[in-house]
Amino acid sequence: MSSLSTAVRRTTLYGILAAGALLSVAPYLLTLNGALKRPADLLSTDAWIPAHPATFANFTAVWNQYGMSSFLLHTLSVAVLVTIGQVVFSALAAYALARMEFPGRDWLFWGYLATMMVPQMITLVPLFLMMRELGLVDTYAGLILPTLFGTPYGVFLVRQHFRTIPHDLEAAARIDGANTWTILVRIMLPLSRPILATLAIITFVNTWNNLIWPLIITNSDRTRVITVGISALQGEHVSDLPHIVLAGAALALLPLIAVFLLFQRHIVRSIALTGLK
Amino acid sequence: MIDNISPTKTFPGGDGSRRHPAESPPSSTAGHRRGRGRIRATLEAYLLLAPSLAGLLMFLVAPIVGVVVISFFDWNLMGTPRFVGLANYREMMGDSEVWRAMRNTVYYVLLNIPAQTVLALLLALAMNRKLRGLKVLRVLFVLPWMAMPVALGIVWSWAFDPQRGVVNQFLALFGVDGPAWLSSTGWAMPVLASVNIWQYTGYTMLFLLAGLQAIPESLYEAADLDGAGTVQRFFRITLPLLRPSMFFVLVTNTIGSFQMFDTVYVMTQGGPGGSTDTMNYHIYQQAFQLFRTGYASALAMLLFAVILLVTAVQLLYFRKRTIYDFS
Repeated sequence: MSSLSTAVRRTTLYGILAAGALLSVAPYLLTLNGALKRPADLLSTDAWIPAHPATFANFTAVWNQYGMSSFLLHTLSVAVLVTIGQVVFSALAAYALARMEFPGRDWLFWGYLATMMVPQMITLVPLFLMMRELGLVDTYAGLILPTLFGTPYGVFLVRQHFRTIPHDLEAAARIDGANTWTILVRIMLPLSRPILATLAIITFVNTWNNLIWPLIITNSDRTRVITVGISALQGEHVSDLPHIVLAGAALALLPLIAVFLLFQRHIVRSIALTGLK
Repeated sequence: MIDNISPTKTFPGGDGSRRHPAESPPSSTAGHRRGRGRIRATLEAYLLLAPSLAGLLMFLVAPIVGVVVISFFDWNLMGTPRFVGLANYREMMGDSEVWRAMRNTVYYVLLNIPAQTVLALLLALAMNRKLRGLKVLRVLFVLPWMAMPVALGIVWSWAFDPQRGVVNQFLALFGVDGPAWLSSTGWAMPVLASVNIWQYTGYTMLFLLAGLQAIPESLYEAADLDGAGTVQRFFRITLPLLRPSMFFVLVTNTIGSFQMFDTVYVMTQGGPGGSTDTMNYHIYQQAFQLFRTGYASALAMLLFAVILLVTAVQLLYFRKRTIYDFS
C-alpha cells in the first residue's frame, strides 16, 4: 500500500471522526450561544450565528427571578449527600460480600443481583405511598433516602473490584493483628480509589440529572431541584421566553461539563473499565 | 448478572485461572474463623451490610412486593383501596392505548439499539488505533453522556423546531424542506430515538473500545501470517472476542431504552396523537396524573415482564455462543 493512499485514508478517518465529535458537542455550543443572545436576536437570526453582542442578562434573569440559584443549591446538596452515602455504604456492604464468610452470603449476593434488574418505574408508586405515610413528601429526606444507602449496582461494582485484590495482603495484616475495620480502611479502600471514584462520578451524574423521582416527591420551590425547575420553565414559557429557557438549560448543563472536563482522563478510563472488570 | 463478564476466559492462554483468587479463601484466613471467631465474623459481616441491606429491603424489595399487591386493587391514592382481583389485568388486555404504548416502546427500542450499537462499534474500531489526537476525540464523544436529558430535551425541541430550528435551517442550505419533526406522527419517535443515539453512542463506544483493547495483538499477527484479510480478521477474531462486551452493552442499553421517560416528558408529552406515548410515560400518567394507582401497578408488572423476557432471550442467545466467567 503506497504511503499516499495511507495518508488519504488517515485524513478521511480524521475527517469523519472530527465531524462526529463536532456533532457531539454541537448541542452544547448551540445552547450556550442561544443563551447568550438577546431575545430579539434569538428569534430573528439563525441558531448558529454567534451571539453579538453577547449578553449575560438571560443568566442573571434565570438566576434571580426564576429561582435557579436555589434549585441549583438543592440539586447540589442532594447529589453530594447521595454520592457520599452510595460510596460509603456500598463499600461496606461490598467488603462483606467479597471477602467475608458468613451464612447467607450467597443468597444475599444473588438478591442484590436480582434487584439490579428491576426497572425504576415499577417501584415508584409504592415508594411514593411509603414516603407519604412517613410524612416525607416534599422534603429533602424524601428526595435522598431511596438511594442514600447505596444501590445494588454500587455494591456490585465495588465487590467485583475487591475480589481482584490479592488475599495475601489481607492475611499478612491479620497476622500482624489487624481487625476487619483496619483492613478495610487501611488496605482495601486505598487500593480501590479508581473504582470508588467511578462510582462517585456515575452516582453524581445520575442524581444531578434525575427527573422522575424529584418530579413525584416534591411539589414546592422549597425542595425543587433543577431538573424539575427546568421542565417547569419549559412548560410555562417556551413560546414566549425561549431565551430564559435556554439560559436555564445552559445553567443545568455546564456545571457537570466543567466537572467532566476537570476529571476527564480519569472518568473516560474508568468508565471503560467499569463493565468489564 | 450483567456486569461480571470477563473477556479473559475466551483467550487461549489467558490468565483466567488466577483472575478471581477469591473463589475459595486460602486456609490461613479460614482457620481464624472457627468457633467463636466464626460467630464474630458473621456479626461483623452483617454489621457492615446493615445500612445497605436496610435500604435495599425498604426502598427496593418492599416496593416490589407493594406493586404486586397494589395491582390487585382499585385506588386513587385517597380513600380506601378496593380489592378488585384481576380486574386491572383484564382491563389492560383490552386497552388499546396500552398496546399502542407497548408498540411505541418496542419501536423506540428497535430504532435505538441497533443503530446505536453499530455506530458505537464502528466508532470503537476507528478509535482503536495508535493515532495522534484520538484521546481528545474520545473525550468529546463521551460528553453527551453527561447531558441532563431534561435540559437537552429543551435544546433539541428548539433545534427541531420547523421554522427556527437549526435542523431545518441546515437542510434548507441543500434546498430540502424539512418536516415539522415533533408534530408529525411519523417523525416524532425517530427524533426521540436520535436524541438517545446522540446521547449514548460515545458511552457505548467506550465499553466496546475496552473490549477491543483486551484482544491480544498476537492473534492478529497469527492471522496475518495465515494471509487473512481485513474482513476475515474482523469476523473471525474481532467480533467473536468482542462478544462479552457486546453482550454487556446490548443488555444494559436495552433495559435502559425500555424505560425511556425524560425525553418524552419534555419533548412530546406522548404526542402527537399518542405516537410517542411509551410504556413508562403511560404508567407515569396513569399513576401520577390520573391517580389510577392500581391500574398503573398492573402496567408496571407488564413492562417488567416484557423487560425480563427480552433480557432472558438475549442471555440465552449469547450464552450459546460465548464462554463466560460468572463469579
